[in-house]
Amino acid sequence: MICEDARLLIGADPDTAGQELEEHLRACDGCRAFREEMGRLNAAIRRALEEPPQMRVARAVRAQPAWREYALAAGVVLAMAATLAVWLLRPTDTLARDVVGHVKGEPESWLSTHNVSAASIEQALTSSGVGLDLASDKIVYAQSCWFRGHYVPHLVVETTHGPATVLILRHEQVKARDDFHEGGMTGVIVPAGDGSIAVVARGHGQVDDVAAELRGEVHWLPEPAQPPEPRHH
Amino acid sequence: MRNSPVQSPVSSPGERSRAATTRASTTALFEAMRPDLLRFAQWLARDRSIAEDIVQEALLRAWRSRDALKDPAAARAWLLTIVRREHARLYERKRLELVSLDDALEVPDHAAAAGADAELLTLRHGIMRLPIEYREPLVMQVLGGFSTEEIARELELTNTAVLTRLFRARLKLRGLCGPSPAPGAAREEQPA
Repeated sequence: MICEDARLLIGADPDTAGQELEEHLRACDGCRAFREEMGRLNAAIRRALEEPPQMRVARAVRAQPAWREYALAAGVVLAMAATLAVWLLRPTDTLARDVVGHVKGEPESWLSTHNVSAASIEQALTSSGVGLDLASDKIVYAQSCWFRGHYVPHLVVETTHGPATVLILRHEQVKARDDFHEGGMTGVIVPAGDGSIAVVARGHGQVDDVAAELRGEVHWLPEPAQPPEPRHH
Repeated sequence: MRNSPVQSPVSSPGERSRAATTRASTTALFEAMRPDLLRFAQWLARDRSIAEDIVQEALLRAWRSRDALKDPAAARAWLLTIVRREHARLYERKRLELVSLDDALEVPDHAAAAGADAELLTLRHGIMRLPIEYREPLVMQVLGGFSTEEIARELELTNTAVLTRLFRARLKLRGLCGPSPAPGAAREEQPA
């Protein structure tokens, strides 16, 4: 069993047990600490759910005149038009914000300390039409993630200054290098061929070396047919 | 040849008495479960009055199908399942008035929440804000006591999909509270 599988089982049910999992936990300090943390979190969740949520008393719903529905519809149309305009005219730093938002949405990616198999890295890259000539022993996390309408490789690379997250964005073009500090993270987005590469580190981590190295190692493969967008319940 | 005894269309006083006793015990069982059902429905619906409607409708359905409940020990899981389905059905057939969570959530009393309860309040708000696809399996597991396999069956998902949703739900809540230091942990983890 690898750490990724062990953490999925523990995160899904901190009380879960099984011979294979227990064997892995005996040998892995990180996963053992993760289980202890999830156990404490689960106890807190249980306490939180013991009481029903505190809601204000529901307000009486009155019949509303028809003109209000038309006004509401017009408001929705205007809001949609405004949203579309904002999206079309969005500045580059929105991309930085989305990158940081995505990275924060996968906090488990920072926890990984084991090298990912070459096959898993290959899978994450080729499913997004990306080739990368980087030594696989530096990569401790590799996923193909849904980001801005496309699956993109999401990697975590171990550096001498700590882990750095890399998103390889073949569909996001930037005119020039964009350095940013957002949500407690330091990052850079650099152009790479017809796309770009985003590198993010926590705090004031070093991202320049990784970005420079990757820029020369990334190449675009023929774009594969994209799998369908993840479905939500 | 002897005729078989004619079945009376009218039940005997003894049968009526037994039926009344069964009805009374079923009613008592359902009523005893009501607070649990209401709390479960409130965490799903995030609205007290809607939750009350759901529970009322669910209990009516359960009463009509009470013969299906063979083992009273299974009543809780059976009733919770009916409540969950009633909640899903309500959203399918009605256009509910959407209320901003910020308006609906009771603002915590910061003076009262200054102690150890502050984290619990944050967590409760965090659970309320989880999208339904994460909140529903989490509430079913922690509050309802359903296994991963039972949740998968009930939500018509694969087992892996349920594991992933539960995992992500906890990670989202962990992100809110921040990882607490693990005694003796091998390495210190920073919140992402």
